[in-house]
Amino acid sequence: MEKELKQRELLLEVANKLRWKIGENVHDLILESIYKHAEEIASAVTKRKVGVQKFDFDSFIDRIVTNKWTGFPIMFLLLAIVFWLTIVGANYPSSALSFLLVDTIHPLLRKVAEYFYFPWWLKGILIDGAYLSMAWVISVMLPPMAIFFPLFTFLEDFGYLPRVAFNMDAIYKKVGAHGKQALTMSMGFGCNAAGVIAARIIDSPRERLIAIITNNFSLCNGRWPTQILISTIFIGSLVPSYLAGLISAGVVVGVAILGVLFSLIVSWFLSRTLLKGEPSAFSLELPPYRPPKILQILYTSLIDRTLLVLWRAVVFAFPAGAVIWLVANVNINNLSIAEHFIRWINPSAVFIGLNGVIILAYIIAIPANEIVIPTILMLTVLTTKLTGFGAGAGVMFELENISDIEYLLKAGGWTTLTGINLMLFSLLHNPCSTTIFTIYKETKSFKWTAIATFLPIVLGILVCFLVTRLWYILF
Amino acid sequence: MSTIIIILSLLIVFIFFLYKNKAFYLMKKNVKEKEKIEDSLKYLYDCEYNQRPCTIKSLSKKLSISFIETTQLINKLVELGLVTEKSDELFLTAEGRQNALQIIRIHRLLEKYFAENTSIVESRWHKLAEIKEHQLNVEEANQIASNLGNPLIDPHGDPIPSVDGTILLENTIKLTELNEGLTAEIIHIEDEPEEIFSLINSLKLYPGMQLKVKSIDKENVLIEIEGRIISLKKDVADNINVKEIKNEILIKNFNRTLSSLKAGESAIVVGLSKALRGQQRRRLLDLGIVPGTKIKAVLESIGKDPVAYEVRGTLIALRKNQSDYIFIQ
Repeated sequence: MEKELKQRELLLEVANKLRWKIGENVHDLILESIYKHAEEIASAVTKRKVGVQKFDFDSFIDRIVTNKWTGFPIMFLLLAIVFWLTIVGANYPSSALSFLLVDTIHPLLRKVAEYFYFPWWLKGILIDGAYLSMAWVISVMLPPMAIFFPLFTFLEDFGYLPRVAFNMDAIYKKVGAHGKQALTMSMGFGCNAAGVIAARIIDSPRERLIAIITNNFSLCNGRWPTQILISTIFIGSLVPSYLAGLISAGVVVGVAILGVLFSLIVSWFLSRTLLKGEPSAFSLELPPYRPPKILQILYTSLIDRTLLVLWRAVVFAFPAGAVIWLVANVNINNLSIAEHFIRWINPSAVFIGLNGVIILAYIIAIPANEIVIPTILMLTVLTTKLTGFGAGAGVMFELENISDIEYLLKAGGWTTLTGINLMLFSLLHNPCSTTIFTIYKETKSFKWTAIATFLPIVLGILVCFLVTRLWYILF
Repeated sequence: MSTIIIILSLLIVFIFFLYKNKAFYLMKKNVKEKEKIEDSLKYLYDCEYNQRPCTIKSLSKKLSISFIETTQLINKLVELGLVTEKSDELFLTAEGRQNALQIIRIHRLLEKYFAENTSIVESRWHKLAEIKEHQLNVEEANQIASNLGNPLIDPHGDPIPSVDGTILLENTIKLTELNEGLTAEIIHIEDEPEEIFSLINSLKLYPGMQLKVKSIDKENVLIEIEGRIISLKKDVADNINVKEIKNEILIKNFNRTLSSLKAGESAIVVGLSKALRGQQRRRLLDLGIVPGTKIKAVLESIGKDPVAYEVRGTLIALRKNQSDYIFIQ
């Protein structure tokens, strides 16, 4: 026994000495010899088909989609088609869901509550607050995601998206980020939370963090309707009616492009300050094109992406809905908490070209950008004491007719400047709670979550402030 | 008014998160006696290694503390049996040397860790390791070592002492001592003074690279390294230690870079430069870019960077700052 121990010690000593002799390159050498050996075996036992037609087909597509002249137009065209299909296609299922959840089940639940003699506040919190906000989130969030994600996954599965990263990498390299950030950014146009999860495809931690923090600058599905609505009301009305549609759509696209610019600028800034470092491992595999597997696409996009994100949104919407109802209904000195807050914040909000209603709406509608407009409408009715709109304090509502919304907002003191600033603030504010939670899950760091949350707000306040000052100088 | 308050408080929250670590560090700065002890042991080892005398005076200068404080510190070290004092000169005892080597081990392991597993800029490795080395214990250091595969040398080419405190001392010469026409391997790059070190960094010279001295005169050394010709001032070249390569078979043929390959051309990989480290290097090796592999440039992206290469039947896009350090034939 003792002898064995002694032998072992001797052996370890020899090994330790030998380690110094072998030197540093041993890992490389082992890897090289493994590959060499594997290749020898492989070439000895396999035969390759001489016809390389499949690869020719691939390189034919590759030459078109990465070409100097056709590469970018194809990319923009495909993305535009995806967005168009999403926005237009989502309208019908959205209104159907809304009819079911908001117009049918909601009154029904109220009746049930009345039947069981619920106290008014319990009915308010549970049904007008929590249930309604959850129903709203589902009906406006589910359809666009259920269309966008499968389309996006389709492009991914086909093999096109890696080529986009390949085309865009030069730009991202300049700002110290990874070409694949182009993909997470596009994914962010669908949903920021999904975009944050998608940043997993970037394998170096520094570049991944940059992609996660800047994802919020992609205008997500929840914000497109807000942009379109406000642009139609406040920008469209500035131009002759035959141009209104075109101009207001153009402005929305402009805001989205502004978001892309912000994401690049912030990436550049981060990679030179907080996330300073060398560009780490870059490699981008360009897989061969292949017919997409439809069933698998539907499964991954609907189960892994849509339902996961929707679930997180619903979980947050429930309590937030209760809060929305409470701030509008709990009165102190005959004035609701909401009105107190709005009055207190209004001077500073107006100072940066917004108003108190908008600020409060963005705070309490944190679970989803989709419920910001309904919340704004409800709060406007609450503060202006207009009658004939909505279904009571704390109950979110949407109006069918755009001119009604215009009337309501203008009664709330909105000007063209407020409209423009709301569009900017909608682009540049904190991510929704689902995204914040997802960022925490992905980074496991309070610090980066906080930075990703507060950085856009600071930027948004700054930009709105500057625009307002400029506006007053010009007009 | 409230606007200003809100903006200010947002800024404060933001700044707090940015500088949280630094703030805590400043708060704790004055309490650490342990750090001073460890720093003085390290300094004493450094003196011993470079065969320089070490006195209380030079130590107090190095640690930038007062003479009296240094004297108290030394008394404590003598009491602990780590240091002996002979006619004003300070020496490490065997135990003191062991302790010093353990701290050096942690320092170098940390530098290796930063190089391999993080994207921290090279010029910050040393400073960061100077702070963190006092916060790790031996077990944690062993953990890092085994995660890194028990590395032997740190990214500057300094040997990392083993757990039992043995350290490999290689016989190297300064680059300036090398004669014209000779080929040598860079063994070690001195990390102090910082300006010279970051200059060498920016030239992308790393331990493990082979160089050939083209000419040498009173002021400059002209070297050829991996296909590049670089002129170094003598005081810079003095900070680079090399070892001559006498066996010609060992001389690598690193002349042509992968980035010089035009679309449609093929070549054979001969090796990866030592400038590719850590994750980058592992990823390339994982993709099968090893000596002997056939590689073909297939597609250039719109800005000519990145370029897609065909390796072992797959298309892989690489940036120029990688293909510049992959050598082909």
